[in-house]
Amino acid sequence: MTPALRAMLVIPEAAIVLALPPLLLSVIARTKAWFAGRVGPPWLQPYYDLLKLVRKGVVHSRTTTWVFRMGPIVNLAAMLTALTLIPVLTSTSLLGFSGDLILVAYLFALGRMLTVLAAMDTGSSFEGMGAAREVTFATMAEPALFLSLAALAISTRTLRLDQMIDGSLALAWASIGPALLLVVGALVVVLLTECSRIPVDDPATHLELTMIHEVMVLDHSGPELALITYGAALKFMLLSSILVHTAFPHIDLLDGWPVIFIVPLRIGALLALAAFVGTIESTMARLRLSRVPLLQAGATVLAGLAVLLVLLRRTT
Amino acid sequence: MSLHTVMDAALVLILLLGLTMLSAGRLATCIRIFAIQCLVLAFMPLVTEWIHGEGVTRHALVMLLGTISLKVLLIPWVLLRTIRTGEIHREIEPFIGFTASVVIGAMLAAGAFAVSARLTVPGDPPSDLLVPVALSTLMIGLLVLVSRTKAITQVLGYLVMENGIYLFGLLLLRQMPILVELGILLDVFVGVFVMAIVVYHIRREFDHMDTHVLEPAKES
Amino acid sequence: MLLAALIVCPLVFSGLCLLLRRGAAWRLFLVAGAALHLAIVLGTWRAPAPFAPDALIGLDPPGHLLLTLVSVLFLAVAIYSVGYHQQALVSQQVACMLAMLCVLSLVCASQHLGLLWVALEAASLTATPLIYFRLGPRSLQATWKFLLMNSVGIALALLGTLALGLSTTPVPGPISLTVGQLTPLAAGLDPVWLRAGFLLALVGFGTKMGLAPLQSWKPDAYGESPPTVAALLAGGMTLGAFLAILRFVQVANAAGQGQFVAFWLIGFGLLSIATAAVFVIGGTDYRRLLAYTSVEHMGVLVLGTGLGVAGSYAAMLHALHNTLNKGILFLVAGLLWRLYRTNRTGEIRGVLARHPLVGVLLLLGLCATCGLPPFGMFYSELGILLAAAGQGRWWTLALFVLTLGVLFVGLVSAVLPMAFGEPVEVSKRPPQHPAGWGWRRVAMLLPTAALALLALGLGIYQPPAVRDALESAAATVVASTPSTVAGAAGADLIAEARR
Repeated sequence: MTPALRAMLVIPEAAIVLALPPLLLSVIARTKAWFAGRVGPPWLQPYYDLLKLVRKGVVHSRTTTWVFRMGPIVNLAAMLTALTLIPVLTSTSLLGFSGDLILVAYLFALGRMLTVLAAMDTGSSFEGMGAAREVTFATMAEPALFLSLAALAISTRTLRLDQMIDGSLALAWASIGPALLLVVGALVVVLLTECSRIPVDDPATHLELTMIHEVMVLDHSGPELALITYGAALKFMLLSSILVHTAFPHIDLLDGWPVIFIVPLRIGALLALAAFVGTIESTMARLRLSRVPLLQAGATVLAGLAVLLVLLRRTT
Repeated sequence: MSLHTVMDAALVLILLLGLTMLSAGRLATCIRIFAIQCLVLAFMPLVTEWIHGEGVTRHALVMLLGTISLKVLLIPWVLLRTIRTGEIHREIEPFIGFTASVVIGAMLAAGAFAVSARLTVPGDPPSDLLVPVALSTLMIGLLVLVSRTKAITQVLGYLVMENGIYLFGLLLLRQMPILVELGILLDVFVGVFVMAIVVYHIRREFDHMDTHVLEPAKES
Repeated sequence: MLLAALIVCPLVFSGLCLLLRRGAAWRLFLVAGAALHLAIVLGTWRAPAPFAPDALIGLDPPGHLLLTLVSVLFLAVAIYSVGYHQQALVSQQVACMLAMLCVLSLVCASQHLGLLWVALEAASLTATPLIYFRLGPRSLQATWKFLLMNSVGIALALLGTLALGLSTTPVPGPISLTVGQLTPLAAGLDPVWLRAGFLLALVGFGTKMGLAPLQSWKPDAYGESPPTVAALLAGGMTLGAFLAILRFVQVANAAGQGQFVAFWLIGFGLLSIATAAVFVIGGTDYRRLLAYTSVEHMGVLVLGTGLGVAGSYAAMLHALHNTLNKGILFLVAGLLWRLYRTNRTGEIRGVLARHPLVGVLLLLGLCATCGLPPFGMFYSELGILLAAAGQGRWWTLALFVLTLGVLFVGLVSAVLPMAFGEPVEVSKRPPQHPAGWGWRRVAMLLPTAALALLALGLGIYQPPAVRDALESAAATVVASTPSTVAGAAGADLIAEARR
C-alpha cells in the first residue's frame, strides 16, 4: 500500500488497537459463561466498568508513598511502549528495530516490577504474598519466553520482532513445523502466566490467599484501578498477538488482499485466541501452587527443545 | 505435509511423551503415557519403509501388529492390573523432585542432541532426528529408572529405555531378521510379565511398592 | 540336527514338568533331561558339524567348549538337587531350571548376535523365579535387584549389538549379524561404531557377568537363592555372558581393533578383581564371599582375554576350572547349610572333624579357588602372568599379583577356620537330619566329589583333547590359527610348569 494510504490509516488503526483489549476480556468472560450454561455479561461490560472506575474518586492509604501512585501509570506506559514494537493488525510494527524483542520482554518485566513495588508499598501481607508468588512464577516463565523468541529468531534469521513473526515464518512452518508447534505451546504457557490466567492464577477468585495478580491490586481504586485493568488487558492483547502471528503467519502472505479483509481476519484471530483461553479457564482447574513451577519448567523445556530442533535443521 | 515432516513430528512427540512421564505423578498416567508412546513407535517401521520408497512390507506390518498387541495393549494392561490390585495410585515425590527431573531430562536430551551431532550415522537414516531422539529416550528411561522409588515406575523406566533402543534399531530395519525382532519384543513382554509378578509379591510382602524401603541386605 | 535336538530336549522335559503333576516325577525329569543333554553334547564332540557363515546357530570352538562345561555342571547340580531339596520341588522351578539349560545351550550355539541377545535375556528371565525360591523380604530384594540391573545391562548390550550392526553399513551388500559373516569382512567395518558397540556390549554383558562396577546384584542374588541355583548362575550364566563378550571381541579383533579391545578388557578385569579384593576382606557370609570370588574370576577371565593369544588360552582354561570350582563350592555351601543351618563363616567350625567328607571337599574347593597347585587355576593364573610379562605389561602384572594376594588372604582367613578348629558343641546346634538323610547325603556328596575329582584330575593331567579344545577356542577369539597359540609362550610354559 502506498505511504500516503498508510499514513492515513494510522489513526483508525491506533483507535481500533487501543479499543480492542477490553473486548478480549469480554470474550473470555462470555466463553466461560457459555461453558457454565449462563448468558454472561453484556459484550461491552468491560468498557462500562472502565468508565465507571474513571468517574470514581481515588483513595490512598496512609502507608503508601509515591511508588503506589506511580505503579499503575508506569505499567500502562510500559504496555503502550510495547505496543509500538509489536505488530497487532498489520505485519510491521510502528517503531521496530533490530533487537527489540529484548526490549519487549523487559517492558513486560518493567510493568510487572512496578506493580509488585506498588503492591509491597502498601505494607499489607496479602499484597506481599501475591508479589512473592508473581515474581517467582514470572521468573520461571522468563526462560520460556526468551527461548521461544530465540527459536523464532534463529529460524527467520532476524532480531526484529515484527520481522520474526511475519510471512517468512510461514516458510519455516513448512520445514520445521514440529519445532514451531513447540514454540506455540511454550508461548501459550507464557501467556497464561504473564496474564495471570488459569491454570496459574484464578482471576475470578475472591479468596485472597489464592490470588496472585488480583491481590496485588487490592488497594487500588478509581482511575488507578482503571489504568491497571486496562493495562492488564493490553498486555493480554500484546502477548496474544505475538502468539497469533507465530501460529498463523500465513495471514501476512495475503499481501494482495484489501485491508478491509485482513483487519477483521486478524481481529477474529485475536478473539478466537481469547475464546481459547476462556475454554482453558473453563475446563481446567488452577494448579496447586507447588506444581506451577513444573508447568513453567515444562514450557522452558518445550522452548529449549524447539531451539535445539531449529539449530539442528539450520546446520543440515 | 511430506513424510519427512510426519516422521519428525512423530519423533518429537515421542521425546515429549518421555519428558511428560518425568513430570507425571500418578502411576496410571505414567502407564498411559507409555502406551501412547508405544503406539506412535509402532508406526515408525512403516513410515521408515515408506520414506525409503518401499511401500508396505510384510516386515513392517508384522512389527506394527506385534508392537501394538504386546506393548500398547498387553503390557499396559498387565501393569494397570498390578496397580489396581495394589491400590497404590500416586507416586511419592522422587529424590530429586518432579521439576528437577524434567529439567535434568531436558538437559540429557540436549546432551544427546549434541552427541549425535558429532556422530556420523552411516547409511541413510529416515530422519536426522532419529538418533538424537533415540538416545534421549534411552537416557530419559534411565533417569526414570534411577530416580523413582515405586517398583512399577522403575519397570516403566526400563520399558522407555527399550523404546529408545527400538528407535535406534529402526536404522537397521532391513538387516535384522523378523525372527530376531520378534524375539526381542517377546523378551521384553515376558520380562515385564515377570517383573509384574515380582512386584505383586513385593506388595504382598510389604504392603507397598517402595523399593528404596526394602531392607538393604547387610554385608556382615 | 544334533544341535537342534540339543536345544530342544531340555525344553521338552521342561514342558513335561509343567504338564504332569506328580511330585517325584519332576526329579526324574530334571536328572533325565540333564543326562540326555550331556549325552548329546558329548555326541557332538565325536562328530563336529560345520555350518555356513550366515547360519543362525552353529557350534564353533568357544561355544562348544562352554556348552560342554554348562552341561556337565547342570548334570551335577541336577543330581545334587534331588538330594538337597527337602520338600518336593515346585514344578515351575524344575521347569525353569530345564528352560535355563535350553536357553543357555542356545546362547552357546547361536552365531547370530541378535539371537544371542534374545537367548541371554531369556536366560535371565528363567533365572528370576529360581532366585525367589525362598520366599521372604531378602530374597525379594535380591530378585528385584537382579532383575532390574540385568535388564538395564542387557538393554545396553542390545544397543551395542545395534551399534555393531550400524558399523556394517560401509560394507557393500546386506550382511547379517552372524559372526561367520562379520569376521571376514571386519576390516571394512566403520571403526567408530564398532568401538561404541564393543564398549556398550562389554558394559552390558559385563553387568550380566558380574564385572565391576555393576556387580552389586551378585552378592544378594548368590546369597539369597538356593545353592543349586547359585551354582548354576555362577558356573553357567556367567559363561553365557562371557561368550557374548567373546563374540564381540572376536569381531573387533578381526577388524584390527586389538589395542582398543585389550585396553578396556584389561581395565575392567583389573577393576573387578580389585573390587572383589576390597569386599572379600572381612566378609562373614560364606555365600556372599563366594559371590565376590565369582566377581574376581570373571575379572580374571576378561583380563586374560585382553592379553592376546596366550592370555586367551589361559582365560579358557580358567573358565573351565571356574565352572568346576564354583560347582564344588556352592554345592558344599548347600551341604553346610543342611548340616549347620547357617551361612555365616563365624558360626561354623571344625567341619573336618565332624563331617570329614564335607570338610575335605571344602578344603579342596578352597585350594582350587585360591589357585593353589595342582589345581587348574594355578596354571591359568600363571598363564596370565606370563602373558602379561610377554607383552611387557608390568603394571598389569603387579596389580594382578597384588589383588590376587589380597583375595587369597581374605578367602583363606574366612574359610580355613571353618574347616579346622574346635567343632561347635552339639547342644548349641542339634543337627536336624531330614527324612531319608542317608540317600540324600549320597545324592549330594556324589556330584560334589565328582566335580572335585574332575577338577583335581584336569589340574594334574591335561588330556590332549582338552588342550586342543582350549587352544582352538582361544585361537577363534583372537582370530589366529591354533598353531600360533601353541607356538606362543603360554601353553608351552604351562606344560613346562607341570613337570
